[in-house]
Amino acid sequence: MIYSLCLILIGIGLYGILTKRNIVKIIIGFVIMEAGVHLLLILIGYRMQGEAPILQPGMKLSEFITRAVDPLPQALTLTSIVIGLGVLALMIAIAIRLYERYKTFDITEMRRLKG
Amino acid sequence: MEIFQHPFLYPILLPLASGLLCLLLPKILSRVSGWIAVIISAFTVYLVWPLFMSEPQTLDLIANFSFKVDKLSGFILLATTIFGFLISLYSLGFMKKKIYQNKYFAYLLWTIAAACGALLANELIILLSFWGFLGFTLYLMIALGGAQASSAAKKTFIIIGATDSLLILGIGLVWIITGSTRMDGLAIPLNHPHTYIAFLTFAIAAFAKAGAMPFHTWVPDCGEKAPTPVTAFLPASLDKLLGIYLLARTANDLFVMNWAMNTLLMVVGATTVLLAVMMALVQHDLKRLLSYHAVSQVGYMVLGIGTGIPIGIAGGLFHMLNHAVYKSCLFLCTGAVETKTKTTDMDKLGGLAKVMPITFICCLIASLSIAGIPPFNGFASKWMVYQGIIDAGKSSGGLWIIWLAVAMLGSALTLASFVKVLHATFLRKPSAEVKQNTIREVGLSMTIPMIILAVTCVLFGVLAYRLPLNHIILPAVKDTVAFTGIWWAGPATFLLLVGIIVGFVLYFLGNKGKVRMVSTYIGGESLPADEEVTGIDFYKTIQDINPLNALYKMAEKNFFDIYDVGTKFIFLFVEGLRHVHTGRLPWYLSWVVGGLLILLIFLRS
Amino acid sequence: MNHLIPLFIAVPLGAAFFIPLVSRHVKWVPDVFGNLTMFSLAAMSFYTIGQSEVYHLGAWQTPIGIDLRLDGLSSLLLIAINVIGLAATLYSVAYMRIFTSKLRYYSLFLIMVTGMNGVVLTADLFNLYIFMEMAAIASYALVGFGCEHEELEASFKYLVLGSLATLFVLIGVALLYGMTGSLNMAQVATSMQSAAQAAQGTMAKPYIFALGLFICGFALKSALVPFHAWLPDAYQSAPAPISAMLSGVLTKTIGVYVLARLLFNVFGISQQLLLILQILGALSMVVGVLLAIGQWDMKRLFAYHSISQIGYVVLALGLGTPLGIIGGLYHLVNHSVFKSLLFLNAGAVEYSTGTRDLKRLGGLNQALPITGKTSLVASMSIAGIPPFNGFWSKLIIIIACVQAGYYWLAAWAVFVSLVTLASFLKVQKYAFLDAAKMALAKIQHTPFFMGLSMVVLAILCVVTSLAVLSGFDAPVLIAPAADVLIKGLITL
Repeated sequence: MIYSLCLILIGIGLYGILTKRNIVKIIIGFVIMEAGVHLLLILIGYRMQGEAPILQPGMKLSEFITRAVDPLPQALTLTSIVIGLGVLALMIAIAIRLYERYKTFDITEMRRLKG
Repeated sequence: MEIFQHPFLYPILLPLASGLLCLLLPKILSRVSGWIAVIISAFTVYLVWPLFMSEPQTLDLIANFSFKVDKLSGFILLATTIFGFLISLYSLGFMKKKIYQNKYFAYLLWTIAAACGALLANELIILLSFWGFLGFTLYLMIALGGAQASSAAKKTFIIIGATDSLLILGIGLVWIITGSTRMDGLAIPLNHPHTYIAFLTFAIAAFAKAGAMPFHTWVPDCGEKAPTPVTAFLPASLDKLLGIYLLARTANDLFVMNWAMNTLLMVVGATTVLLAVMMALVQHDLKRLLSYHAVSQVGYMVLGIGTGIPIGIAGGLFHMLNHAVYKSCLFLCTGAVETKTKTTDMDKLGGLAKVMPITFICCLIASLSIAGIPPFNGFASKWMVYQGIIDAGKSSGGLWIIWLAVAMLGSALTLASFVKVLHATFLRKPSAEVKQNTIREVGLSMTIPMIILAVTCVLFGVLAYRLPLNHIILPAVKDTVAFTGIWWAGPATFLLLVGIIVGFVLYFLGNKGKVRMVSTYIGGESLPADEEVTGIDFYKTIQDINPLNALYKMAEKNFFDIYDVGTKFIFLFVEGLRHVHTGRLPWYLSWVVGGLLILLIFLRS
Repeated sequence: MNHLIPLFIAVPLGAAFFIPLVSRHVKWVPDVFGNLTMFSLAAMSFYTIGQSEVYHLGAWQTPIGIDLRLDGLSSLLLIAINVIGLAATLYSVAYMRIFTSKLRYYSLFLIMVTGMNGVVLTADLFNLYIFMEMAAIASYALVGFGCEHEELEASFKYLVLGSLATLFVLIGVALLYGMTGSLNMAQVATSMQSAAQAAQGTMAKPYIFALGLFICGFALKSALVPFHAWLPDAYQSAPAPISAMLSGVLTKTIGVYVLARLLFNVFGISQQLLLILQILGALSMVVGVLLAIGQWDMKRLFAYHSISQIGYVVLALGLGTPLGIIGGLYHLVNHSVFKSLLFLNAGAVEYSTGTRDLKRLGGLNQALPITGKTSLVASMSIAGIPPFNGFWSKLIIIIACVQAGYYWLAAWAVFVSLVTLASFLKVQKYAFLDAAKMALAKIQHTPFFMGLSMVVLAILCVVTSLAVLSGFDAPVLIAPAADVLIKGLITL
């Protein structure tokens, strides 16, 4: 099913976050996972052979409601993308600073805080 | 607000408020705080006097907020406040130049207030809150001893606080079992595991406060490190009063005892008597030695209450009162010695009887009391405990002979150890460390409490039945007390006095002027000038007897210290857990995903 | 209609953008504006006591518009957030001088407050997610504010784990929307109930999946074991007032609060869910406290205690009985007071001595009397010693455990409180009572504002304990909040 595609995408992202040591790869894993989640959100509101949820002049309202896709998930996805961008920017900023301090991208080398 | 007009609340609120005042006083007025403490504590005695005299009465402020005084709590209340007054009077002298005076007197007043609250409470929750607050003030007061007392303060509060928490569990159980936490309506029969657990939590809280084994280990540490009046007030007298109060309440009122629990109490009591006195025998520090005796004497009280026989319970309570008197007297004497010599190490003391006669005589009387020498008070109460043990033996089993033997042996060893104290501190040749010519008797505010306590020791012994028993102890026991053995204190004292006088007469008639003075010698050889016979090592050989030496060694390593053992046990887990937190991010992430999977599997089922 | 409600979100958000605009050249502006904002919010939060209503944003009605919802529980949390926030900003006036950019600090701080207020007030699952992310992103940045090795490391780990949790939450939101076609909590709850009735009480698989994701996500935000790994690192490295905010209110708002809201009000509590809460709570309590007692870094020690205390709250909520819920919420409030005070104390110690290592401290009772006394109050509170607030909530929780018949949990709680006491006495001993190991002359005095905020919190420790004296039959704060969890959303 088409939903399983999103799940595969999420799974790939999760795999990347879990197993990769390189900070950049972890961040990429995040991006992939996020993309999967956003796709899932869109799919939930999607309707086969649906129309864009824009009411144009000359459309019957009842027909529009039966045919248009659910607009709310799209709005949610947009918001969520914006938030994801914010997180991504912060992650990259911290990654750059971390590289300045530790001279490495390997997250398992950064173990000053433990115990 | 008519609730504030009730006599129950003043002994709690007044010291509490004035304690706060003392704390807020500027440093310059620190002498004032001492006087405030003396006046307020004296006034508290005046306030609780009518409560002591009155018939049992209850006060219900609002629902779940009930106070009550009866004969048992009444006399302990009076004793508590009187000790509070004596200690604050004594501290006026002792604390003269200390920087922490304000704090000390504030905590002292708070302790009095909280003790009054705990004794007057008729609601277990109220009892618990005051009880917990007492642990806190105890911690604060020990911590006044500065950096050297920090470990002792920590240890004390951990033990006390832990048992307080257990008490919460017990109260919760009592509430579930009976549906009420009012103390005057409770009489829980021990018939279900929950009731046993509830009883044990109460007993453990009482043991920890009173310092019975195995929760005693804070007492010696605290006695050694805390300021002396603190030890004299808290571990030596007040905590005993409260701990035994709770035990007596629990065993007599809240629960209906059975044979098994009584035997448990007696085992605890007997063990405490014997083991603590064995530890006391080998101590070098005066305060530490006294503290071990404070533990050992608790054993008698627990034994007495554990008999479940009225005379035994009365004996236990009487011993509690007596112990508070002579033990605080002993600590105050130690404090006097410490003020003048700046040490409590018996190796460094000696020959103080000449320069501090009042202290010496008070200490002598108190020592004889604690050792149970007739006609002093310690004997009167121990005698009652013995009777209780024998009586209990009539009805159940042959174990009584063991308890009796242990109690008597403990008493003998106590005497032995006080012979050492008196010799080492007051009687032997003056030691080199202490400059004899500079030492004088301590000031009036310090001697008066000692004298009062010493006189009480004598009075409570000689007039045991007429004065304390008849008016204080016996009304506090529910059933009528039947004496099996008879001890005529008056005639016996008379005979003893006659004996002593005859002895003196003979001495003066026969030997006057014929005393031969020789230098000290050992085995026919006279002692080199740089060595001397000390009393310290009188009983050192005990440590070398075969099964005992191993035990002593283990005790030195704190093997029997419930605190140390617990700490080691807990830190096993701590190290394991710390090892797991490696700081590796993927490892942490796998916890999250693993946790999610477990959650999902669990939710599916 | 109560127009106060949106102000809790609008005011800090506005101030967050206003401060950097105005104060580029004037140094005192961030301090003054930050504190004024927090002060007004704290004052406003007290007006919410006893009120409950749904606010329709822009007057759009429920299914179309965005709702804000004020009830007893949100009011309790609002007061906690804004009062602790005020204490933290007061403290920051002096403390944040050691960092470079105050204006960015206050900006981020206010965004965090906005997020938290929003989480507490929103009635909408997606907005919940947005506000949560807002608070979380600001907190990631604030944890790494120092930009040194440890701060960055902690911040990154927190960021990765936290973002993972928010992604889980987002998937959960998507699934719920897909199943119910609504995002409004009350409506989701209603349609879930009818769906459950239709299926004879069994939950459909997507619901279960969403539930699992929500529990995991919010357990991570509230740092319950085994999702706690980010917390000690983050609290240890963050600036002290931020540690205080994170521990005092952030984990509670975006963690425990949301978890309770969702489980009790949206999904509907069941024995199985209660069991999960109990297990998570009991595990957190003991793991947290055992890790704490082995620490020598003051802030890290306190951080592990946060895990353990949150465990208490979750355990009490997991009992599901009215007494348990009251105890849990009361402990939540108490914990936010004394734990933030403890972190401020740790900050004051670090500010004055330059270290947090207990092995190197000592004698601070003489050198820093205010810190010494307030930390004693806070330590006794957390250890549950009367007359301080922690005692009462601990008492209620233990008795609630016994009442619900979970004797082992009660004994467990007693054991944890013993170890808690022990570890705080360790702090007292090594930092404050022992002989000083460094020259006392080198120790700086505590600035006025830091002292002020610590004293205020210490007084609160005593004042909140008076709440118990008023009895729980007619209290103002906690019982209405507990009512919300017991009776549910629909009644409003």
